[in-house]
Amino acid sequence: MARYIFSRVGQALLVLWAAFTISFVLLQAMPGDAVLIKFQNPEYGLSAEQIADIRAAYDADGSVVLQYVHTIGNFLTGDFGYSLQAGVAVSAQLAANLPSTIRLAGLAFAAAALLAVIIAVLSNISGFGRLRSFIQSLPSLFVSIPTFWLGIMLIQIFSFRLRLVPVINPGEWEGLILPVLTIALPISAPMAQILLRNIDEVLTRPFVSVARAKGASHTFVLWRHVAKNAFLPVLTVAGVLFGELLAGAVITETVFGLNGIGSLAEQAVNFQDVAVLQAIVVISAAAFVTINLAVDLLYPVLDPRLKAKLGGVA
Amino acid sequence: MGISGKFKAATVIGAVLMSLASSAAFAEDAAKPVQGGTLIYLEQQPHTNLYPPAGGFYPNGGVLNQITDKLTFQNPKTLEIEPWIAESWTVNDNATEYTFTLRKGVTFSDGSPLDANAVAKNFDTFGLGNKELKQPVSEVINNYDRSEVIDPLTVKFYFKKPSPGFLQGTSVIGSGLVSLATLALPFEQLGDATKIVGSGPFVVESETLGKELSLKVREDYVWGPVKIEHQGRAYLDGIKYVITGEDSVRIGALLSGQADFIRQVQAYDEAQVEGQGYKIYAAPTRGVNNSVVFRPDNPLVADVRVRQALLHGTNAQEIIATLFSANYPQAKSIVASTAQGYVDLSAKLTFDPAKAAKLLDDAGWTPGTNGIREKDGLPLVLTAYESPPQPQNKATLQLVSQQWAKLGVTLNVLAGDAGSRTVDDLDPAKTPVSPAMVGRADPDVIKSQYYPKNRDVLRQKGGPSDKVKSFVDDKLNGLLEALSSEPNREKRLQIAGEVQSYVLDQAYAIPIFEEPQAYAGAPYLQGVDFEAVGRPRFYSTWLAEH
Repeated sequence: MARYIFSRVGQALLVLWAAFTISFVLLQAMPGDAVLIKFQNPEYGLSAEQIADIRAAYDADGSVVLQYVHTIGNFLTGDFGYSLQAGVAVSAQLAANLPSTIRLAGLAFAAAALLAVIIAVLSNISGFGRLRSFIQSLPSLFVSIPTFWLGIMLIQIFSFRLRLVPVINPGEWEGLILPVLTIALPISAPMAQILLRNIDEVLTRPFVSVARAKGASHTFVLWRHVAKNAFLPVLTVAGVLFGELLAGAVITETVFGLNGIGSLAEQAVNFQDVAVLQAIVVISAAAFVTINLAVDLLYPVLDPRLKAKLGGVA
Repeated sequence: MGISGKFKAATVIGAVLMSLASSAAFAEDAAKPVQGGTLIYLEQQPHTNLYPPAGGFYPNGGVLNQITDKLTFQNPKTLEIEPWIAESWTVNDNATEYTFTLRKGVTFSDGSPLDANAVAKNFDTFGLGNKELKQPVSEVINNYDRSEVIDPLTVKFYFKKPSPGFLQGTSVIGSGLVSLATLALPFEQLGDATKIVGSGPFVVESETLGKELSLKVREDYVWGPVKIEHQGRAYLDGIKYVITGEDSVRIGALLSGQADFIRQVQAYDEAQVEGQGYKIYAAPTRGVNNSVVFRPDNPLVADVRVRQALLHGTNAQEIIATLFSANYPQAKSIVASTAQGYVDLSAKLTFDPAKAAKLLDDAGWTPGTNGIREKDGLPLVLTAYESPPQPQNKATLQLVSQQWAKLGVTLNVLAGDAGSRTVDDLDPAKTPVSPAMVGRADPDVIKSQYYPKNRDVLRQKGGPSDKVKSFVDDKLNGLLEALSSEPNREKRLQIAGEVQSYVLDQAYAIPIFEEPQAYAGAPYLQGVDFEAVGRPRFYSTWLAEH
C-alpha cells in the first residue's frame, strides 16, 4: 500500500512538471509577448527606442533556457512573477481570486452531486411511465445547455425581470446562487447519467433479487445495497469533471462579473500575460492531480475488493 | 419621492412606470443638487497600470479622472485652457518656456503639499521617464528638457524645441498630478489603485483586484477648477466601480436599477436604453476619426490611385446606417468636427464607385478570372486585423470588405490573438490595411497618430517597426513637425488644415465616423460631465435618489 501511494504521488509530481514545461514552451512559441502587447499598445504612444529600453528592462529578449530555469526556481520558492497587464504581482492576483473560485467550484460541485442524486432517486421511486422517462431525459438536456447561454438566461430572468437576486453588489452568499446553478446544471448531467445507468445495472444483479425475496422494500434495497455499488464509478467521473468545473468557472465568472481564477485566465489569455497564465496552469494542474490522487486513494477505502487486489500486488 | 416609492414595490411593469414618473419629478429638481449616495459604475474592463500617462486607456482614465487634479482645466465646451491647480501661467514667444503659478493650500490625500516641487517632479517623470523605476515617457509631452522650482508656488518648464501643445498637455488625463510617494514607486506597483495618491475630489478607499474599486469623497476638497459652477467637495459620498464584462449584463443591471451608470453601450442597445427613459451619453472624443489606414510600404497599396479608389469605394454612410446611430456622425475629415483645427473636407470623401473602378483600371489592376482584380498575375487581396476596443470594429471592417469586393478587391478581416495581432500589425507586408483612431483635444493629436516616432499608423521607415522596407513621406513628417512646434495659434491651425488635406489627397486614411464614447445613465443621475476626450468626471455628479 505504501509503495502504491508513493508511486502515485511521484506520478502526480511528474504530471505537474510536465504541465509547467509544456505550457512554458507553448507560451514562448506564441507570436509576440506580454511586454510587446502592453507597450506596443498605441495608448502609450511610445517610440521604438523607448520600447527597446523597456524590453531590455524586463529582459524580454533574454535566453529562453535561462528564463525557464529562472521561472521554475521562482515557482518552487512560491514567487509567481509579475502581471504586466494588471501591473501587480501574480501572487496578489491569486490571493484576490483563488478563494472565490474555490468557493464557487466547491459549492457548484456539491450542488451538482445533489442534483444528480435527486434525479437518480426520483427516477427510481417514480415507478415507470411518462414521469420517469422525463426525469431520465433531464441529464441529456442539461449537458447540452451552453454554460454561457444558461448564465445569461438566469440573469435575465431571475435578476433583471423578477428582480429576485441582484447581480451587481449582491450579498456574499446571495451572489453565488445563480453562478453555482449555472455551473452545477451541466456538471450534474454526466454524474446523473452514470448514476442512473449503474442503478439500473445493479438492480439486475442476483443479490438484489435475493434481498427482494427476503422481503426488503424497493427503497431499502436502493439505499442499502444498490447505492453503495452504484457510487463508485461516479467517483471516478467526479475526478474528471473537475476539469469541466474550471472551464465552467471561466465562462461563469466572466458572465457574472465575479472575480476568480476563471476571469483572471480569460483576461490573461487576451493579453498573453505569460506569468499569470503559467501560474494558473500550474495551480489548475495541481488541483487536478490532487483530486485524482484523492479519488485513487479513496477507492480501496470504499471498495474492500480493490484493497485486497492492491495488497496482492504489493 | 413617496409616489415613486410606492411604484418601486411593483416589479416588472412598475419599473417602466417608475422611470416615467421619476424622470418627470426629477426635471423639477434638476437645479438643486443633492449631496450623498454612492454611484454604482459598471466598467467593461478592469483598470490596468495607473501610472498617470497610461490614463488614455478608458478604464484607467475613468479612475484617474476622479482621484487626480491637473495643472490646467480644458473647458469641454470651448476647449479653452482654464486655471485649475495653476492659477496663472506665462509662455515665452517661441513656446519653449512655461511658468506656472500654483494655487495655495492644495494637498495630496496623504497630506503632503501639492507645491512647485511636486509639480516639477511629476513633469520630470512624465517628460523624461524614469528608467530605474521603469516609468515610460508620456505621449503628450514633447521636447521636454527640465523643470525649475522658482519658489514654493512657482514652477518653470524648459523645452528643447517650441512645444505649443504643452499647455493643453497639462490638462489631459495623462497629466494627473500624484504625490511624491507615488512617483517614487516602481512602475510594477502602480497597478494597485490604493497606491495612487492624488489631490482629486475622490480618494481610493479599497480595491478587489480585477473586480471592484471603491472611492470615497474627500471632504476637504476645495480646489476644483475655478471657472466651473460647482465648488467645494463632490456631491457623491463615493463611487463604486464594478467590472462587468458582459454587454447585456451591464445594460440589464442599469435598467433593473442595480447600477447608476455604465460605460460602453453599443449602438444596437441604444433604443432599448432610451425607450425606458434612461439616458445615452455619447461623449465626443475630438481626435482622429475612426478610420481605415493604409501601409504604403506594402506594394499592393503603394500606388496612390489604388488607395484613392478604395477611399471612393467606401460608403461610410451605409456603414453608419447599418451598424451605428445618430451618435456616430459621418466623418468629414481625418479629425472630428469637434476637434481643434478641423476643416470640412467632405468633398474629398465622396462615395463614387465609377471613379473608384476607373482609378483601379488606370493603375493597371484589371478584373481577373474570379472577379478579383490582378496586376502582373498578383491578385489585389488585402488583410486587416480588427481592433477590439473600437465599437463594432469587426462588423465595420466586414462591411468595408463587402463594399470593396464590389470593386474587385478582397479585404480579409482577421481576429487573431493579441500577440499575433501586435506582431503582424508592425509588418506592412502582413497588414496593408488597419483600423485606427485616437482621441485628444489638441491639434497635436494628428501628429500623435501619423508621426513615425509616435503611433506611426502608416508604418514609416524609422518608426517602431523594423519590418518596413522603404516607405517614408518627408512632406507629411515635415508638416507634422511644423504642427507640433508652431507657436502661433493661427498658423498652427492652418497647418492642421494642410495636414488633413494632404492625408486625404494621398488617401492614406479613409475616415468613417467620429467615434464617441458611449455611456448610459439612470434618469435620477444628474450632472455627469466629461473631460474633453470623453472620460467621465463625477465631481459635479449627484444622485437625486439614493
